[in-house]
Amino acid sequence: MNPILLLIDGTLILILLALIFWPEKGIWARIREARVRRQRILLEDTLKQLYDHEYYQKPVSIASLAGALNLSQEKTTRALQSLAQLKLAVFSGGQWHLTAEGRGYALRILRIHRLWERYLADETGVSEAEWHRRAEKREHDLTMDEADRLSETLGYPVYDPHGDPIPNRFGELPPKSGRPLTAAQPGTHTTIVHLEDEPAILFEQLSAEGLYPGMAVTVLENNDERVVIKGEGKKITLAPVVAANITIPVEEAKEAEEAEKEPFLTLADVREGEAAEVIGISPQCRGMQRRRLMDLGILPGSVITRELESMGGDPVAYNVRGALIALRRDQARLIRVKIKKEHHEPQL
Amino acid sequence: MNKSSGPHEENNRAIEELLSNARDLRWTVGDDIHDQLLKNIYEQAADISDKVVRHDGKKRYDWDQKLDRFLTGRWTGLPMMLILLSLVFWITIVGSNYPSAMLSGLLIDSLHPLLKNFFSGFLPAWMSGLLIDGMYLTSAWVVAVMLPPMAIFFPLFTLLEDFGYLPRIAFNLDGLFRKAGAHGKQALTMTMGYGCNAAGVVATRIIDSPRERLIAIITNNFSLCNGRWPTQILIASLFIGAVAPPALSGIVAAGAVIAVALLGIFFTFITSWGLSKTILRGEASAFSLELPPYRPPRFWQTLYTSLIDRTAIVLWRAVIFAMPAGAVIWLISNITVGDLSLAEWFIRALDPLGGLVGLNGVILLAFIVAIPANEIVIPSILMLTVLSLNLHGMGTGAGVLFEPDSLNSYMQLFHQANWTLLTAVNLMLFSLLHNPCSTTIYTIYKETGSWKWTMVSTFLPLALGFIVIFFVTQWARIAF
Repeated sequence: MNPILLLIDGTLILILLALIFWPEKGIWARIREARVRRQRILLEDTLKQLYDHEYYQKPVSIASLAGALNLSQEKTTRALQSLAQLKLAVFSGGQWHLTAEGRGYALRILRIHRLWERYLADETGVSEAEWHRRAEKREHDLTMDEADRLSETLGYPVYDPHGDPIPNRFGELPPKSGRPLTAAQPGTHTTIVHLEDEPAILFEQLSAEGLYPGMAVTVLENNDERVVIKGEGKKITLAPVVAANITIPVEEAKEAEEAEKEPFLTLADVREGEAAEVIGISPQCRGMQRRRLMDLGILPGSVITRELESMGGDPVAYNVRGALIALRRDQARLIRVKIKKEHHEPQL
Repeated sequence: MNKSSGPHEENNRAIEELLSNARDLRWTVGDDIHDQLLKNIYEQAADISDKVVRHDGKKRYDWDQKLDRFLTGRWTGLPMMLILLSLVFWITIVGSNYPSAMLSGLLIDSLHPLLKNFFSGFLPAWMSGLLIDGMYLTSAWVVAVMLPPMAIFFPLFTLLEDFGYLPRIAFNLDGLFRKAGAHGKQALTMTMGYGCNAAGVVATRIIDSPRERLIAIITNNFSLCNGRWPTQILIASLFIGAVAPPALSGIVAAGAVIAVALLGIFFTFITSWGLSKTILRGEASAFSLELPPYRPPRFWQTLYTSLIDRTAIVLWRAVIFAMPAGAVIWLISNITVGDLSLAEWFIRALDPLGGLVGLNGVILLAFIVAIPANEIVIPSILMLTVLSLNLHGMGTGAGVLFEPDSLNSYMQLFHQANWTLLTAVNLMLFSLLHNPCSTTIYTIYKETGSWKWTMVSTFLPLALGFIVIFFVTQWARIAF
């Protein structure tokens, strides 16, 4: 056979195989991805949106539902009618409401959704931007028993990584509290308790700014044009529409916690031979990664000295409670420290 | 049934209330309760240890620290690593020659004819052929070739580990592996793979992050194992060394073998990178590496554990797989359908595919029957070549593995089978890039507990191998 022809054929076959089987972007993956939105999924999503409106006390309108579901108003109306037939929703007082059954159903879906987000955040390397999208698909597949088992393996978490409470087995949720960041006066010291994950484009901006639930911030400026906050020593400017997706507690913090202080130092900033005391591990370090660090004795109060650099300068070995532990730069950046002025003996 | 339901009901109600209270409180406790618990545990432990443990004020390190500066230094780290590892390989290769020859003399040259004569006395010919020529001979072959290098390599490796040097290699090379999305400790499992891939796969247990561990398992096969070094060395000295002028042939052949090993490292990094960007993207990942203090290795203990834990287990698995393989080799060579043996039918069927990728049906069939152990690839090729060419007076019979006594007789045989330089190069590449041996495949399944990852580890290198030799062949045919 002619080797030139074979060479061309071989190359073509390779390209074809790549086109079909390339993970995530290949034809095969796309076909699986683009499975038809089945009726059940549509109804479950509508229930969830109804619940969402109820929880945040937003008025329900066909238009707002259709917008949230990314559906035509016509299809949304039909979905609502189906829900009414199933006695999961009722139209009364000029508005759509959930029935008790419908609420229970919605809470079950919400439980699976938030547990799955928590699982993705804690136990996998899936990036922040993908949590919500993947959970949106997964919530329709898991049974309640599977959700219970998942909750058990995750250590019965109560909040999802965005700060939303996870409904427990009995469909209970804590009473909603908190107010949007846009309601805070300049000068308020507060803590972020929740970041809204929908719509994805706004959440991406929040996560790109490095904001996370549990972060202490101070509001510097709040008007119709922009909201400026300060946290971890950085100034962050947000558009009001973005800031409205941040929830803070109703009551103000008594004093500036960490927000007003100097920019954080991290273990990565510690120089050779310097000793540093750990203040805490960033909430962005989750799940297995976090457990690992704590198991190694990296906890608030531990004194760590930087000891040895590897060939390329990353990783670096630190003396933690008498053991030499190598950490990568990406990890060291997640450990907050303050430099100890006087040099300490390594703590055992 | 229950007369006193009143108090029970009351109890139940109280319990219900308590549980409901607990659930309400859960929301206020929040998620950092585990952090708090752990912090308290550490504080208490530190308190207790402060009370009962006395420190003599001496720092741990002085000489530890000096040694670390030297072994992980910017300029000294890499050369020291290359020197130490080359030393280990050199001792293994040189040191195993003599015991290998002895074992082979004992098990194959002496014991085999003895057993054959004994059993032929009262067993039908086909049965003694199957048992002795097939199953016994193949297992003996595997033991003779496999045991000595493993019995030398593993203890040496374990000594370095016990001394505390191996974690420093991981520390030094982590930067490189990080860029490929892998863990520094993969440097160790990769090195271990040069001894035996099955042992290398077991060694990935030291990587505690699931994603990085899977990467290390799947790419371990790109480390040329003990069973493949002899194939590489033989083919390189026969064909590649012969291309160079006689004075340089030794160096050129050695260079070719090293080039194949380096190509394996290249594939390790490329595949690690590719995997971490595609199918292993979402797997959980965490990094931690402890550098233990240096200490004098415990020699006898090390020797014992490495022989039992690594050598014995791997050898046992290899023998278990070699016996049925021996039976298969003997049977396909001796069962005839029509006027050809099964082996010849297979060879004919595989010849077109072999031609397409610059090998031949004999070599492909040899790689199939040698799935249990890479050590028998060359003997299988020789036996099948003799069988398929109907060469009388060579070899020791259908289905009986053999090795010629001189390089010349190898060459003679290969020439009769129409081997070219291209065949040799492709054979070397395919020996690097093909499915792991069955012992390793079984070990991967045991370690991952997943058919999916076992299949990926098996077929990914095989597919890569076919792609590489296909393209090499077409280029070579166009160029020459």
